[in-house]
Amino acid sequence: MTQNLDLTDIQGNIVKAYGSSGFFKARYLFLRVDDGDKGRDFVGAITSKVTSANEKLKGDDALTVTTNMAFTYAGLQALELPTASLVGFPSDFVMGMSKRKDILGDDGPSDPKYWDKIWQEKVHIWISINGKTSDVVEERYQWILQQIKATGGVTLLRGHCGEDGNGNAVDDLPYQDASVLYEKDGVTPTAKEHFGYTDGIGDPVFDGQTNNAARVIGRGKLTRSGDWVPLATGEFILGHVDEAMEYPQTAPRPDLLSNNGTYMVYRKLHENVGTFNKFLDEQSKDYPGGKELLAAKFSGRWRDNGAPLVHTPDNESKAEWDKKFAAADDATQKRMLTDFTYNEDISGAKCPFSAHTRRINPRGSLEYGVKDAFHTPGALVDRRRILRRGLPYGKVKDETSDKGNHGIIFMALNADIKRQFEFVQQQWINYANDFKQGNDKEVLLGNHSSKDPGKVVLQVEPGSGKPPHFVNNIPRLVETRGGDYFFIPSIGALKLIAGGLVDPT
Amino acid sequence: MANTSGKATALTVLSPIVNQIIDGKSCADITRERCYRLPIHEKSPLAKVPNTYLARLFVLDNVYYESLTASDSIFNFSEITSIFSDSARLKALPRKDQLKSKYLVFSTNFHGDLDEYLTGMWEKWSYDDNGQQRGVQHIWEHCVAFDGVKDSSSFISYMKRCQLDATLFFNGSTDDSLQEQLKSLYLKQEFSKFAAANQGKSAADLQQAFKVFIEKVQPENLDQPSWVPGQSTP
Ligand code: HEM
Repeated sequence: MTQNLDLTDIQGNIVKAYGSSGFFKARYLFLRVDDGDKGRDFVGAITSKVTSANEKLKGDDALTVTTNMAFTYAGLQALELPTASLVGFPSDFVMGMSKRKDILGDDGPSDPKYWDKIWQEKVHIWISINGKTSDVVEERYQWILQQIKATGGVTLLRGHCGEDGNGNAVDDLPYQDASVLYEKDGVTPTAKEHFGYTDGIGDPVFDGQTNNAARVIGRGKLTRSGDWVPLATGEFILGHVDEAMEYPQTAPRPDLLSNNGTYMVYRKLHENVGTFNKFLDEQSKDYPGGKELLAAKFSGRWRDNGAPLVHTPDNESKAEWDKKFAAADDATQKRMLTDFTYNEDISGAKCPFSAHTRRINPRGSLEYGVKDAFHTPGALVDRRRILRRGLPYGKVKDETSDKGNHGIIFMALNADIKRQFEFVQQQWINYANDFKQGNDKEVLLGNHSSKDPGKVVLQVEPGSGKPPHFVNNIPRLVETRGGDYFFIPSIGALKLIAGGLVDPT
Repeated sequence: MANTSGKATALTVLSPIVNQIIDGKSCADITRERCYRLPIHEKSPLAKVPNTYLARLFVLDNVYYESLTASDSIFNFSEITSIFSDSARLKALPRKDQLKSKYLVFSTNFHGDLDEYLTGMWEKWSYDDNGQQRGVQHIWEHCVAFDGVKDSSSFISYMKRCQLDATLFFNGSTDDSLQEQLKSLYLKQEFSKFAAANQGKSAADLQQAFKVFIEKVQPENLDQPSWVPGQSTP
C-alpha cells in the first residue's frame, strides 16, 4: 500500500528538493546556543517560519523563500533535551563528522584541522534559507538576525571562507552562500557543477513521495522482474518502516521527537578545478576515445547533457543518443537519463567500476551475473541510498588554478548515517572490494594522495582483443573543507523542543 | 571433523590457565598482559613461524550466555500479562554453563603438516619484549601442566592434548605455501604497476621493458623480492 506522508509535519526539502523547484539560491547559517531558555525561545521564533513539505513551491502563489532548521548533538544538549532522549541518538551523530574522519577518509588536505574556521567553533544549530532570488534570501536573513537580537541566547557563528562584497578572499563570513551555476550570460541557470558535469539527475524515490510511476524508473529499487518500485520510506524518514521491515534503529525517544525527522550530512567539498583540468588534459592524450569520453568515464555520465555511459559508451553511440534526446519530449528525456542498470554492463566496459555514479549507486548490479544471488538484485544497494539536497558554491575565476572558494555544499539525507552515507564513503568511494577493483578509489571523490597516487582501470569488452586502459596518478580532486551531522526534526518536534516539552517517559 | 582443507590446516588450542594469584595478579591476567605486549606486523613472533596464514591469541574468561529477551519497559499492556509470559520464558531458557577455569585460546590457519608447524612454533617463535628475547614458553608459562614441556616433542604433544576440532578456514588464502602466496601477491601488484606504466608502448619497447621487469621481480625466486610475512605497508 502506498504510504501517506504527513506533509505538514515533515520539513521542506526532504520529500521534494528545493533545487528542482526554482530555488536557486541558498544561505546556510550556523549558531551556538549560549543559554538553554533563550535558545529554546529562539528555536520557537524560527519555527514559526519553518517551511513544511506541504508548501507550494511552483506556480503562482508559491513560496519564494524557505527556512529550515536542524541541530547537532551538542546543540540538542545545549537546548537541554532530557538525557533519556539524548541517549537514544546513534553514536555517529553523537560523535559528529570531524571525529569520524578515519571512516570518511578525511585525511591530508581534507583533515578537519584545515577546515574553515567555523568548524573549530561549537556548532549547535543549522538554519537554511533557500530562495528564488538573492533578494528574498537576504530579506529572510535579516529577519533571522532580528530574531537573534530579540530572543538572545544564541550567537551566529562566523568563520566561513569565501569572498567579501569586493571579491576579496576572507575567512570569517557569518554564513555560507550557495547557488546554482549560470551560463556565461550570468542569468540562465544550469544544472552544472564546477568540473563541468551536469548534476542533479539521480535521486532515490521513496514510498509516499510521488504517484508518478515514470519518476520511479531508475531511481527507486530494482525488483527481480526488472521493474522499479519506490524504496521504503523508513530509509529516509524516521518513524516509518525501512527496507528491513523495521523502524529505523536510530530514532530517539519519544516517538514525537523522532517521527518524521531525518539525519542530514552537511559537507563543504572544495573542487580542485585547476588540477582536474590539467589531469583530464594529460590523461586524455593517451586515451583513444578523447577528452569528453574520458571525463564521462570518471563520472558515469557525459558532462554536456548527463547521458548515461551505459547507453552511450563511445562517441558514435553518444551522437545517436543526443539526436534522440534532442527530439524527445520532457518525459522521454527524463526516462532516457535514468532508465538503465549496470547489469547491462557487467564487465564494466561501458561504465567503469570506479566511476562516481556506479560506485555511489550500483543500481542492483552487485550480483555480478550470479543468478538469484540475493533475494532481490538490489539487496546490497537498497540500504545504502541517500537523498542529495545540496548546491554548488562559489565561482571559478581561474580554470587553471585550485585556489579560491568553489565546490559543492553536499547535503545528504538518510535515516542512518552510518549505514547509508558513511558506508558509501568508506566502502564504495575509498575502497573497492564490492566492485572487485582491489584498493582502487572512486576517481572524483577518492582521497588519492600524492604519496600513493590513485589508479583505476577502464575495462574493455571481453574478447574485443583491446587492452584495458589505466588511468594513473590520480590526484586529490575534491577536498573536504568542513561539515557536521545534523538531526532535522519534524515541525511538531521543533515545537516540543522550543517549548521544553520533550518527554521521553 | 576435518581440521584440514586442501593443504591448509586449522588448529584451535584451548589451554587451561592455572587458577592462582602471583604477587596480587591472577595467572589469567598475567597471561593476558603478555598477549597484549606481543609486537605486531613484521615484528610479531607469528611472522617468524613458517607458513602462518592468520592466527589469534586471547584469554577466554567464560562462555557467553545467550538468553531470551525479557520485557523491561516501565509499564505497558504486555506487563499485565507478564506474570504468565515470563514464567514461560524462564522455563524455556537455555541452561547456564560455567567454565571451570580460564583458557588461553590459540587459533591458527597455516599451510602444511601439524607436527611441522608446531616444531616451527617451538623453534622460531621469538620476539623482543622490552629488551628481553622471549620464546613461545613465555605465553604458555601459566597454563596447566605446561611446566612439563621441555622440548619440541613435548610441546607438540601438549598442544595436541589441548586441541579442539576446527572447521573454520580463513578464506582469503589459496592452498599454496605462505612464501608462494606472498610472492604471487608481490608479482600481481608489481605487474599491475608495470602494465599501467607502460601502456601504449610499441611491441618492441614493451618487450624491452618487460625483460627489465622480469629481471627486477625474479618470478622464480621465492625469497626475494617479495612481501615479508606480516608486512603491513608497501
Ligand atoms: C564535489 C563533489 C561531487 C561532485 C562533483 C559530484 C558530481 C556528481 C555528478 C556529475 C553526478 C551525476 C548526475 C546525477 O546522477 O545526478 C552525481 C551523482 C551522484 N552523486 Fe555526486 N558529486 C559529488 C559528491 C558526492 C558525494 C560526497 C556523494 C555521496 C557520498 C555523492 C553522491 C551522488 C549520488 C548518490 C549520485 C546519484 C547516482 C545515481 O543515483 O545514479 N556525490 N554526482
